[in-house]
Amino acid sequence: MCFKNLPIDFDKEGNAFLIKGVKDPYDHKVVDLGIEQDKLKLLMEKNGFIKNVDYDPVTRVAGALAFHSVVDLQKKEVLSTNSMATLFRGYEVILKGRDPRDAAYISSRACGVCGGVHATCSALAIEMAVGIKPPPLGVVMRNILLAIEYLYDHPLHLFLLAGPDYSEELVRETNPELIELAANTPSKNKDIHGYSTVLDIMKDLNPLKGKLYLEALSMTRVAREAYVLIGGKYPHPQSVVPGGLSVTVTTSVLNEVYSKLIKFFDYGQKTTGIWDDVFDFFLKSNPEYEKCGVRPATMMDTGVWDRPDSYDATFENCDKWGEARWSTPGVLVDGEVVTTKLKQLNAGIEEFVEHSFYEKWEGHKYKEDPSGIPLSPNHPWNKETIPKPGKQSWRERYSWDTAPTWDRMPMEAGCYSRMYITAKAKIAPESKFLENTGHSMKIHVPKHKLPEKTLEWHIPKHWNAFERNRARAYCIPYSAMVAMDNWMLAMDLLKKGESKVSTPFEIPKKGTHIGFGAWGAGRGFLTHHLVIEKGVIQNYQIITPSTLNAAPRTPWGAKGPYEEAVLNTPILEKFDKTEDYKGIDILRAIRSFDPCMPCTTHIMAKDSDHMVTREVTTCACGIE
Amino acid sequence: MIGTVGYHLLQNHSVGPILFEKLKKIKFLKNIEVEEMNWGPIAIVQYFQSLKVSFDRIIFLVAIERPMRKIGAIDIFKWKGGLPSETQIQACVGDAATGVISVENLLIIGEFFKIWPKEVYLVDVEPGPEIAGEYLTVEVQNKIPDILDLINKITLNGGLLEQDIQILKGDSLFKKTSYAK
Repeated sequence: MCFKNLPIDFDKEGNAFLIKGVKDPYDHKVVDLGIEQDKLKLLMEKNGFIKNVDYDPVTRVAGALAFHSVVDLQKKEVLSTNSMATLFRGYEVILKGRDPRDAAYISSRACGVCGGVHATCSALAIEMAVGIKPPPLGVVMRNILLAIEYLYDHPLHLFLLAGPDYSEELVRETNPELIELAANTPSKNKDIHGYSTVLDIMKDLNPLKGKLYLEALSMTRVAREAYVLIGGKYPHPQSVVPGGLSVTVTTSVLNEVYSKLIKFFDYGQKTTGIWDDVFDFFLKSNPEYEKCGVRPATMMDTGVWDRPDSYDATFENCDKWGEARWSTPGVLVDGEVVTTKLKQLNAGIEEFVEHSFYEKWEGHKYKEDPSGIPLSPNHPWNKETIPKPGKQSWRERYSWDTAPTWDRMPMEAGCYSRMYITAKAKIAPESKFLENTGHSMKIHVPKHKLPEKTLEWHIPKHWNAFERNRARAYCIPYSAMVAMDNWMLAMDLLKKGESKVSTPFEIPKKGTHIGFGAWGAGRGFLTHHLVIEKGVIQNYQIITPSTLNAAPRTPWGAKGPYEEAVLNTPILEKFDKTEDYKGIDILRAIRSFDPCMPCTTHIMAKDSDHMVTREVTTCACGIE
Repeated sequence: MIGTVGYHLLQNHSVGPILFEKLKKIKFLKNIEVEEMNWGPIAIVQYFQSLKVSFDRIIFLVAIERPMRKIGAIDIFKWKGGLPSETQIQACVGDAATGVISVENLLIIGEFFKIWPKEVYLVDVEPGPEIAGEYLTVEVQNKIPDILDLINKITLNGGLLEQDIQILKGDSLFKKTSYAK
């Protein structure tokens, strides 16, 4: 039984049912957040070292995130945290009433980095709702396209956004004691990346000037060039459609893709070597860093990269084709896999708005999914998006993000979740380049300029900021090798003359059709839930990785992943006066999730479709 | 090169994207290219770095809301280089790499990577408050001939007096009153 908190059980045949005798099966406790605030107020009145520390905006993340914390600068501990998504994302409202065929193009605009995965998720939702099975080459090329999207995203985050947190310039300001130590610490992977000491690496992580920073910029170009060969353009691909892709694939297109992809073989080796050296150094130099951003490995992922011989787009078979993906869908609770079935993953999702700027919706239209698994009234197929801007208050509502849960637990998401679950579950079909051991993932990287090498990512003991970023680095060769696996399949299909990339379809003008698209973004978990009624979109709900990670508290007071991770973070920064405190440890914790707020929040359509107002009520001054 | 910068579907703020097709059809001097420049400052830097023959002059058509201007007012700025703090540059790169469209980001990042030719101009139309919409308001519609005429004059390197051109500098760009005659 995968559910511990939702009152859902399964009989011997695996059929789900609501446990009998539970009066209100989806009832939940609501706690008064004001009690915590009153305690904090008292503490702050008594102790001058306890300060509000606000990051507004949190820089070097994509989009509008603000973070409020109360920190005891004497004891060097975080006492309270609130994560705030500061803008409204209106895509659910924008898509309502539209032709479903527009959804891929419109929802792609939810993000300026990962448009391709939004478009694909949308296409998958329509494929499931309407019953469209793409041809094998369409599936394979989609896999390559989105592996490449990750190859843009991961270097960008590792070196341009999070990377500066570990650079010589920044560490010299916040923890100067580490500089000499880094200068005297030889790097273990010099044979791969060429740096003799950890300090040499840290110098090249310096923003704007460091060679690693600049190299990452140039690698994003390589990924983009490969991407547009399939997607037509970046970041919003023109060729992603329900039923496959609208692009002509020839051997010359594949050869051009290969010429870009192969550069990530060496770059994957180099990147993992760099970050292994840097993070091992930090963790060894001060074991307290283990606690930076630490939280239980409780996370979920949709899985990505469909097998062309398994994927049929149906809800009925989604457990089967989901488990056949190159990365396994699933839920991890404190490091243990509790399900790898897409139906259970889907059924366990709920979204709560008690601490968000939304009105609670009425009704419970879908009481169960098409296979009979009970669904909560808070499930995305039942949810409605009703924005309700208001006064920001830590006691009541403080974010435009919702609080999604799975089996009533806040869930983390990241590219690392897909690697973690895949490595741990050990059920992904065999791959030429990948091997899952249950405690690690082995990635066999072929030679390019560097000799071939088997990289191995190990499931870490503690799930913290450093391990998130380390895993992200390993996601570069992981994604590149999945792309390579698929590239070889694409070549085989072309040799066999199977060049069809899409399946024609029509949207039925009658009846109700439901589906969900599940395809992780560069930052992890992403779902689009869709209800089509009489040929138009009746409901559309998007849950992004940052919807999960940036979540405010649940109604029963459980903290969102950023909030929890920061609360567990010790203040290791060195400062003499409180005014010199920069908050680097907290920022490392937040940035390790690769926040992408454009996906989570957007602009608010007020009163009518044509009135766009930026409701940026983020100033934390005076908020109670 | 004439480049248009700005989000689509934001009424007057989209003056660049809206006039892009019009600009494409105008017969400017030979060798003048008209480009939509919304594809990200980093990608634009990489494009400029890969050019075998560089451009002599770049004219950006943009719409930036500025204080004390009437909707439809047109100002011409000449980019004089200079850079803000590294923190600000890094913030620009962060925004650029995550999809934000902004001519200010583009100017700063381009300056940092030394891609700009000697002459970079902004033809900047006052859009008023940011409002969603497919079309320009009457105030800006009425100014289209003037906008196109000014762009043409800059391409011809004539007809503009020095006092008509304001200066834009990178080291003060992010202060709201940074421009001066």
